[in-house]
Amino acid sequence: MWSELRALREDVDYGTPPRDGEAVTLTVDGVPVTVAAGSSVMLAAAAAGRPVVKLCATDMLEAFGSCRVCLVEIEGRRGFPASCTTPVEPGMAVRTDTPRLAELRAGVMELYLSDFPAEDVLGGWSELHEVIATTGVSSHRYGPGENHLAAPVDDSNPYFLFDPAKCIVCSRCVRACEEVQGTFALTIQGRGFESKVVASQGEPFLDSECVSCGACVQACPTQSLVEKSLFEGGYRSADPAQA
Amino acid sequence: MKDAVLPRPSRRRVEADHPPYDVTAVAAVLERWAGTPGNLLPVLHDVQAALGHVPPGCVAQIARALNRSRAEVHGVISFYHDFRRQPAGRHVLKVCQAESCQATGGRALTARLEQLLGCGLGETSADGAVTLEAVYCLGNCACSPAMMLDGRLFGRVTEAAAERLLAEARQDA
Amino acid sequence: MVCVPRDSTALSVGADAVAAAIAAEAVRRGLPVEIKRTSSRGLFWLEPLVEVPTAAGAVGYGPVEPEEVPGLFEAGFLQGGRHSRSLGPVAQIPFLARQERLIFGRAGVTDPQSLAEYQAHGGLAGLRRALSMAPAAVVDEVHASGLRGRGGAAFPTGIKWRTVAGAQAPCKYVAVNADEGDSGTYSDRMVMEGDPFLLLEGMAIAAYATGASHGYIYVRSEYPHAVAALEAALATLRAAGWYGARVQGSDFSFDAEVRVGAGAYICGEETAMIESIEGKRGMIRYKPPLPALKGLFGMPTVVNNVVSLASVPAILDRGAQFYADYGMGRSRGTLPIQLAGNVKRAGLVEKAFGVTLRELIEDFGGGTRSGRPVRAVQVGGPLGAYFDASLLDLPLDYEALAQHKGMAGHGGIVVFDDTVDMAEQARYAMAFCAIESCGKCTPCRVGSTRGRELIERIVRGERPRENHAQLLKLCDVMENASLCALGGMAPWPVLSALKYFPEDFGLPSERQPAHVV
Repeated sequence: MWSELRALREDVDYGTPPRDGEAVTLTVDGVPVTVAAGSSVMLAAAAAGRPVVKLCATDMLEAFGSCRVCLVEIEGRRGFPASCTTPVEPGMAVRTDTPRLAELRAGVMELYLSDFPAEDVLGGWSELHEVIATTGVSSHRYGPGENHLAAPVDDSNPYFLFDPAKCIVCSRCVRACEEVQGTFALTIQGRGFESKVVASQGEPFLDSECVSCGACVQACPTQSLVEKSLFEGGYRSADPAQA
Repeated sequence: MKDAVLPRPSRRRVEADHPPYDVTAVAAVLERWAGTPGNLLPVLHDVQAALGHVPPGCVAQIARALNRSRAEVHGVISFYHDFRRQPAGRHVLKVCQAESCQATGGRALTARLEQLLGCGLGETSADGAVTLEAVYCLGNCACSPAMMLDGRLFGRVTEAAAERLLAEARQDA
Repeated sequence: MVCVPRDSTALSVGADAVAAAIAAEAVRRGLPVEIKRTSSRGLFWLEPLVEVPTAAGAVGYGPVEPEEVPGLFEAGFLQGGRHSRSLGPVAQIPFLARQERLIFGRAGVTDPQSLAEYQAHGGLAGLRRALSMAPAAVVDEVHASGLRGRGGAAFPTGIKWRTVAGAQAPCKYVAVNADEGDSGTYSDRMVMEGDPFLLLEGMAIAAYATGASHGYIYVRSEYPHAVAALEAALATLRAAGWYGARVQGSDFSFDAEVRVGAGAYICGEETAMIESIEGKRGMIRYKPPLPALKGLFGMPTVVNNVVSLASVPAILDRGAQFYADYGMGRSRGTLPIQLAGNVKRAGLVEKAFGVTLRELIEDFGGGTRSGRPVRAVQVGGPLGAYFDASLLDLPLDYEALAQHKGMAGHGGIVVFDDTVDMAEQARYAMAFCAIESCGKCTPCRVGSTRGRELIERIVRGERPRENHAQLLKLCDVMENASLCALGGMAPWPVLSALKYFPEDFGLPSERQPAHVV
């Protein structure tokens, strides 16, 4: 059902939705590019052929600004703004690839990996895995700590399952449910480190307000929400006792 | 994507699974705040004031009245630490954990309260008398350490004074 | 007449019991005694502080225990008689006499809920003058005063107002940030409980200047007395025609409501506060768009801290220049500084910018309450740096503190004596961030927990060099990659504790030769 949508990934994901405004010209890593006013720096970078790595951004959803891997440097500005939430301005000079940015991105990736199943870091395919490959960060130096790796898999829905251990709390599923489908069946429960994607009041997806439209599965960048059809032999850790 | 290809899975009604609660009281709260923009927090505060906590069962009632989903309401309830999803003890004791109180013996005070009540922060004593909660600043930093018992603020709290207050609170049922 | 404060700190140490004892003793003695419940002077180490107005000004007694009340009557306190609790004329107590009170001039003097007393002490003069001016001129006046936001970010208030005033929209809002969550701070609470009309006057001026028609005051739930005081004061102002439709017969209409937070430090961040008022999870919104252009319910919104707005009536009443004459550099006017923690004389010090930490802690504060040496001072709340004793000569000024990676923040100063374990304080800073993080951005959501774990490992002596290096890396990522100041500044107390107190972590000292200020 969703295989044809997966194919869309082969196209360019500009990270944020296109805008309709006057032409604005800027440079990204020295490459001049012209986009509509109101567009994000991330979109301009992708249009310039200098795409910035991203996790919480996709052009089917409004920018969110949570994953912090899409940081860039902008001449004349302090700090490292997120490219997804920074609107373009005429004459802006954006840099997407500096040693300092690489260092910060690597630092953020380490944090993600410190709460991600180690056995799934290599060999998987997802947007997260693409970012792991691009940044070259596949391990972390935090040692064992608090994590969500033992959270039980929700396989109540006949078509897809949710493995919270692989969730990076980017809220793409929650936002897809709201912005794409208008169902509002998903939310983040709790806050801070305890933040967790849940359906309705933390019940199995099948019992919740979810209408099984699949928008969340399509939006998920880590295969935390994934089609069951991909796992004909049964999902590896669907039963924690066998994991 | 063609949804029609696949049958929509059937689902249980989860609302029925939650324990019963005072539907009329919640309806009165919803009536009071009807039409006020951004009224979810005031509604939740008033529900908690009326029922002592925000019962999971009322989430659907609130969601229907405010034209929001249960997920949205649940997300909000779970974000804010004030909202309790189960009833508290007969008394609620909030003890400050923040820096000004740390500088004046607040850690020892908390440890003593935990010992006296036989429960940790976020828990209720076994006799159901007192729920002990962490709070991060009561604005009473000039008279630290501070705590709040059933909404009443106390400053310069010594372990002896805390012991007296707890003993009084545990006596009246 | 006898004055007994009703400020919640005074209540927390027995002010109600003292007032009741005075009333009972007066009845017993057959004396007619009027008890007036005032705000607090902010001389909190003296609370409950009982004052008796005399021809030579108010004389004080404190701290008073209820059992001491009969003795006060014996000593003739109703006429200002001497007693072991005598403090003499309150205005001459050095802690108070050395202050410059532009905002807190009525503190401890008036009944917070008496509009007549408020006006008799200069209240509403600022709003009256504002209403006689063009809105743009009001914005100019505030801009010329140099007032900067007192919530922590220190953004020029006039510029914020100008942005909102210039925005075209069907509706605009004023949102008062009264989510005073920093430990060691209570000046917002004092304004709201002790002089609620002042905040409401400032808010109405902001609304008039910017064209806002409705306001929200977002008060944290930990402040029940402030909520009650504001609601009562709002009703009074409405009844008197200062709030509501056609204020004082003018074309200006404005009303406001109090909203109560629900236990979330992050809602002190303006965008999270806006989300919360809208009835949502208190998640950070990215900027731009600025709340001044797209804030509450998508409309242009002035978001100001309580003390910022409480500073406005004096600026309108007495002029921008009067206000700008206080202060130093780009920090103009006065800052209410709140002394807290282990300090002998804890209380509110309103001074022009430029006063040093040493003057505040030693001269005003009298050193530690425990009598032990001062070891560390945290300035500006839980995200503020810890300073050691060598830095006490730093002046309180936005820029001077920033040079030392510190901040004035909301003006809170928490003093610790030499029994403090600074590694534990650093651990707490990360733990607090983990508890209070909204959970949106990864550096804060995951990083704060990782930071706490690293500090615990360092303290346990587990691979301290490696874990220290990793902690520094983590702090760099949090500072530079977080979405808002919670994740961005949580490293400050950690890094400063590591810098000045490495021995508490079991780490070798990296201290540089003596600090030149």
